[in-house]
Amino acid sequence: MSSKVLSTSANISSAESVENVILSARNISKSFPGPVIALDRVSLDLYAGEILALLGENGSGKSTFVKILYGIYTPDHGEILMKTGRILERVTINSPADAMSKGILMVSQVPQLISKLTVAENMALTLTSLRIHGVKSLTSIKKILKIISEESEKIGIKIDPNEKVYNLTYTQKQLVEILRAMIVNAKILLLDEALTYLPLLERRKLYQALLKLKEQGGSIVIITHKISEAMEISNRIAVLRAGKIVGVVNTWETTIDQVRVMMFGEERSKQISYVKVQTINPRGEPRIIIRNLHVEDDYGREIVRGVNLTIHAGEVVGIAGISGNGQRELLESIVGLRKIKSGDIYVDNVNVKRSGVKNIRELGVSFIPDRLLEHGISPEESIVENIAACTVRNGINIPWGLIEEISRELINSYQIIAPSTKTPVKYLSGGNILKTIVAREIENAKKALIACNPTRTLDEVSAIYVRRRIREKAVNENLAVLIASEDLDEVLMVSDIIYVMNTGRLYGPLTPEAPCEDIEKLMVM
Amino acid sequence: MVIETTIILRLTAAFTTMYLVALGHSIFEKSGILNLAIDGVFFLSTGVTTAVVVPLTWLLTARGLSLVLSTTLAALTAGLATAIIGIFMAWTLTKLPISHGAVGLSLMFLGYGLGIIAGYEVRLRVGSIRPYTYPDSLGIYLAILAITVLIGLLTYFFIFKTALGTAIRACGENPHVALALGASVLKTRLIAGLLGFFIMGVGASFFVLLWQKYWDIKTYLLGYGWLAFTIALAAGRHPIVLIPLAFMFGGLVEFSITLQARLGLQADLAKMLPFIAALILMIIYGSTKLRRIFEPPGSLGKVFYKEERTI
Ligand SMILES: Nc1ncnc2c1ncn2[C@@H]1O[C@H](COP(=O)(O)OP(=O)(O)OP(=O)(O)O)[C@@H](O)[C@H]1O
Ligand SMILES: [Mg+2]
Repeated sequence: MSSKVLSTSANISSAESVENVILSARNISKSFPGPVIALDRVSLDLYAGEILALLGENGSGKSTFVKILYGIYTPDHGEILMKTGRILERVTINSPADAMSKGILMVSQVPQLISKLTVAENMALTLTSLRIHGVKSLTSIKKILKIISEESEKIGIKIDPNEKVYNLTYTQKQLVEILRAMIVNAKILLLDEALTYLPLLERRKLYQALLKLKEQGGSIVIITHKISEAMEISNRIAVLRAGKIVGVVNTWETTIDQVRVMMFGEERSKQISYVKVQTINPRGEPRIIIRNLHVEDDYGREIVRGVNLTIHAGEVVGIAGISGNGQRELLESIVGLRKIKSGDIYVDNVNVKRSGVKNIRELGVSFIPDRLLEHGISPEESIVENIAACTVRNGINIPWGLIEEISRELINSYQIIAPSTKTPVKYLSGGNILKTIVAREIENAKKALIACNPTRTLDEVSAIYVRRRIREKAVNENLAVLIASEDLDEVLMVSDIIYVMNTGRLYGPLTPEAPCEDIEKLMVM
Repeated sequence: MVIETTIILRLTAAFTTMYLVALGHSIFEKSGILNLAIDGVFFLSTGVTTAVVVPLTWLLTARGLSLVLSTTLAALTAGLATAIIGIFMAWTLTKLPISHGAVGLSLMFLGYGLGIIAGYEVRLRVGSIRPYTYPDSLGIYLAILAITVLIGLLTYFFIFKTALGTAIRACGENPHVALALGASVLKTRLIAGLLGFFIMGVGASFFVLLWQKYWDIKTYLLGYGWLAFTIALAAGRHPIVLIPLAFMFGGLVEFSITLQARLGLQADLAKMLPFIAALILMIIYGSTKLRRIFEPPGSLGKVFYKEERTI
């Protein structure tokens, strides 16, 4: 992976000096109905001028912790101290407005913006609550628009403040969030997988911005499942496991393997391996054939520009590439979720160009959508119901007993952390929600599996299990698999054949043995 | 000539009443709280108006002050009384995870009861309350009309062009995100409750003081609160769009008897006319691009619980 994202420089000073603490969380506990103990007496200090990576497997309590610091959750026990002048003082953070007034700001994986409002209108809420630039309740949006224009100019983030949020791309929305942090002048920035979904280029730009914040004495908490990236950009690493802090180490004093042991324990961390899952599979008959496919994105721009591709039974085809190059739209059109402008798609020699999702699913095609938290689930329904949603479609009598059993099996094998099978999925941690759907789609695939970034918010052990299952299914059950992923390691690990998608076109085929540099070149050319 | 003036007066009164009630209701619902209390609140306001306007008129006219002053003060008092309900509703439904429907309907019945208690005795004593209402003067009616339209324009500006109005819309769309952006959902909704219910209460008092010049405990059976509810719905809770619709619906109610005679309709059918019109309008919006503009707030009626996982 990109080892040159940035160098951590010599700024590793602060490790033990209490002098530098700007926030201290002490004995924080939080439980949820279930009962789930999300945090168990967590104590953690943040230092001025550091980037702290907060790591841990799915469901270990990372999001809960930062949500407490941002005032969304109230802890059951414990206290938070912050530096005022030279001493640490106890503070109460009852709301995000409180948190922001103390210089704390959180950005999460799903942009927290109101789609129907414009960028400036969204910002208006923050500006009023902090009285930034003298903005008050009755200040006109026009004036706020002007303030945002000027500020974004100054900061160097190009966003039209008059644009409705629903017209923005994901990246633009996250940039609005970052812009908000800058305008608020945040001292403590909490990034809960906020950068995970951004294309590499944007991520690198943001790292530069983070470095600047750090140099100015700010403190950044980064939550990520990409441990290698955490190693590169952080000064310290704190690891949570089942709601407890298992260790805090200086990044320069540790290794990836040690961090993994902290995260998963000796036993499970041994399962982590990035070598290709070796399975030999005879290529079967062509299962999915795509001919000269053209597809438009949500704004009517042509984003898939003449794709030809054949996926055989028993074979995993991987599409590498930076997200936003048409992968999502290509995959959506294959499963009938997006209108095809021209071209043809055949599944087992049936032209499914106009078949619609339901019929394509009935042909035995499974689908793992991108950014599933936003559109792939029924959050109010339980795990069982979410699994049933596709297991048994036909017939009026849903065999709940059977599905219950299947659900329990999936929870076991995919290690989904949940109080029970009846828990509404919205109560699961982000990664565990994804696991539920991924498990359902993989295990139910009869003929083909189409997956877009299937492991992006999974912890390493889960991600590796998912990749292994995908290969096993392809080989043992003669499944045709198409997987698009931003994570090149993932593509290399699971694929028999690799293509690179760039500005709507496919380049390839390449073999997984092809030099990495060649593939990366195709990605950024 | 005389007949024409009467028509103008009645139409103005019908419009003013329906518009203000629908406007206040819209402000409140923009903040995300489903207002099923509306009909009870409407009646409560008319009861309070009756109770207040009579003694107040005695008191003030004895000192040589005008009837217009006492009626206006009575309208404002009714507004304040209903504002208390608005604040209560906003507080309960933001602080506690209870159903909007349950609270709204309970408050509706409470409004009916309190309205009867408030107005009954006074009504018995004076018999007719016509002498305690606004005089039939074109000047006064037009002045009230002008103020009403001005309030509508100011509300439009407030909701769509100021930071606080934006916060109200944000809380209606998604209170969790509004909170994360720094808004206080409780404060915002309390303000929407106060302002919205105040305007609603003043509007409903005009039912007694300006429009019907009549009050009886059976007034609660008329369902004019629900009519305002329907108008707000058909106008997508938009202060400006509400103007023609309140005018049209007010007119439909006011002239339903005339229409009934002209078109030879049954009385019950004539009463349904406004609601049929509302349905037609909503079908038109729903099937065209207008849908986006008239969409209800995304979180309207949803229970708000701060620590709810929102993903
Ligand atoms: N609002 C809530 N209601 C109920 N349970 C919750 C809530 N928020 C979190 N939990 C539970 O608390 C535990 C910790 O969740 P959390 O979201 O903090 O995990 P995480 O470390 O962020 O995981 P991931 O990597 O998957 O995002 C999980 O078991 C989750 O189900
Ligand atoms: Mg999380």
